[in-house]
Amino acid sequence: MRTVVTIFSSLLLLAFVSAASAQQTITLGIPTSLNLIEGKEANLAARLAVEEINAKGGVKVGNEKRLFKVESIDIRDGEPGVPVSEALLGIEKLILDKKAYATVVGNFRSEALLAAMDIYSKYKVVNIGTIAMVPKFEELVAAEKAKYKYSYRMCLDSKYLAATIQGLMKHINKDFGYNKAFIATQDVLWAAGTGALMEKWFKENGWTVVGFEKYPTGAQDFSAGLMKARSGGAQVILPIFDMPTSGTLLKQWKSMKIPSLMAGFISPLIGTKAWEAFGEDIDGCMNVVFELGNVPVKAYPPSTKFYEDYKKRYKEEVQSGHGVSGAYDAVYVLANAIEKAGTLDSDKVAQVLETTDAVGSVGRIKFSAGHQLQFGNDPKTAAVSPVFQWRKGKRVEIYPESIADGKIEKPAWMK
Amino acid sequence: MGPTLIYGLINSAILVLMALGFNLTFGISGVANFAYGAIYVVAGFFAWSLINTFHLPFVLSALIAIVVIGFAGVCLYRFILTRIRGLVISEVIATFAISLVLLELLRYFGFIGSKYTLPVLVNGSVELLDTFVDIQRLLIIGIGIVVLFALYLFTHHTRMGLAFRGIAQEEHTSLSLGINPERIASWSMGIGAALSALAAIVILPLGTVTVDGGYDVLITALSVCIVGGLGSTFGVVIASLIIGFAQQLTATYLSSHWTMIVSLVALLVVLTVKPSGLLGHQKELEERV
Repeated sequence: MRTVVTIFSSLLLLAFVSAASAQQTITLGIPTSLNLIEGKEANLAARLAVEEINAKGGVKVGNEKRLFKVESIDIRDGEPGVPVSEALLGIEKLILDKKAYATVVGNFRSEALLAAMDIYSKYKVVNIGTIAMVPKFEELVAAEKAKYKYSYRMCLDSKYLAATIQGLMKHINKDFGYNKAFIATQDVLWAAGTGALMEKWFKENGWTVVGFEKYPTGAQDFSAGLMKARSGGAQVILPIFDMPTSGTLLKQWKSMKIPSLMAGFISPLIGTKAWEAFGEDIDGCMNVVFELGNVPVKAYPPSTKFYEDYKKRYKEEVQSGHGVSGAYDAVYVLANAIEKAGTLDSDKVAQVLETTDAVGSVGRIKFSAGHQLQFGNDPKTAAVSPVFQWRKGKRVEIYPESIADGKIEKPAWMK
Repeated sequence: MGPTLIYGLINSAILVLMALGFNLTFGISGVANFAYGAIYVVAGFFAWSLINTFHLPFVLSALIAIVVIGFAGVCLYRFILTRIRGLVISEVIATFAISLVLLELLRYFGFIGSKYTLPVLVNGSVELLDTFVDIQRLLIIGIGIVVLFALYLFTHHTRMGLAFRGIAQEEHTSLSLGINPERIASWSMGIGAALSALAAIVILPLGTVTVDGGYDVLITALSVCIVGGLGSTFGVVIASLIIGFAQQLTATYLSSHWTMIVSLVALLVVLTVKPSGLLGHQKELEERV
């Protein structure tokens, strides 16, 4: 009888200890496309922040400290052919099975993010997304604040991307007097949409648009478009691409000696490995990085600190220009909001998040009424999208002026 | 017009190289190898690994990749396809399943991103017909012509090549002449895979090696072969010229946006008007009946 009682007591004790230790953690979910570079690195960046927070004892909730526990799930919505419903199922699984208290990073595809917002509302789960860029997100949150109060975005959106490119074009116009542009975009909604916004802006601001070409995803030959740019006398080519094969555009730009500056967004050409892969073919190209911190900027030490910490932890540098530093900051912003709220009550934490005013690797972190991270030209007052130019294997910041450490240089064949 | 001509020709040569291996395998063994695109991509990643991980010279890496991928093609036939040969639907399902497995495994093991680029054989560009063209693209035209000529010599002046043609024309009669159709079919799969690897080695330096490229290559090869007539090498050349120039003219005079549907429109038109393809003989008799 004594043995039975001992075993029973031990089991009870074990169950109690397990339950007690489970209470010590806050499960942070990372539902994203883990096999795509932005998702993979954003996941690692969020985990880095969690490790740092846990190393300091965790998050203070009222009078007790709790550790973060991370649960990542590959919802694959950034991959071709994966239906939105599959991505949503993954998020629900994370919330219901893994008991995620909050999520960061999130969806790649805009339509998946907009649909997922209802799930976050249904389960009262705070989500701080760092990838999908659809402007509709901000409009929805602002219009139905009570419903979508749990959804936040810690990354650039298409509207701010266009604003950054517009600033860059003004800068080019000021330095060189150029006012003839050729737009080349990937034929996907966000890129073509940004291209259309830019076409309108160019026309309204005294520029001539000599052509606007949309390339199917996977395109490897850009010669026809480049010939149109040259025959039209384009002084600037504005590329907007996130497909791996878009590096070919730069190779052909160089081999065909097209006399135009190349300034825009080509995601595969942001990381340091781009120079290893493409070498001098990309020399002179100007590229928008969606958020500070994804590249280190000397003029803004928090971006350099995050970049170096990431490199030290994972033995490689950040290669993606989007969502990575935002994911790192998102975890800190969430932890601060929990501490300020003093509770894990999602309604209260979501309310505190609205008042966020913090220094992050992306710049100063403040959200708009629609829960969108606000961007500007100075990291002391807002988040910033820096623009750099590849020069002999180095990334030289050229815009905005608050963080620039060099002026734009023309490629060799234009001098 | 000069630049359009040059780049149209380059585009056509790329299509020829992409489709030749698929066409050869189908023409000889009758197997529609839906793993063709995956083999192309695997060859690219394999060559990249030899160069960047094992630090072998490019030419040696390319040769090893072509031989190993060719051998893998033979094994694919010997160990999998030989059991289902003649069951067309089973062949398509099996090869497509292999394609999915290969491509998704590559994705799973982290072959993502833009760092996977192969070096060009010769760097630089030259001015031709009022435009600059990189030498690698010109080499593709040259290599395409050499491969076509080599295939002609192989199929007309070697014992194995004649056996290939024998099997392609009438398998049962060839059997009575002592030609082993299983052996020839496995070789055709091997040479088809090797041609796919060769295409990867010369075309991929223009851009990057990507997993999704495998699906595009399969669709391109299928379109070219069906338009030209499955099994007809000359048909592949004609179809490549038509589609290659049509794509270039579309990009020049309409928009690059529409180039993606050019091959599919050509496919639809040919399937509607002449299902056996421009120079295909395999179904011609059925069509007449």
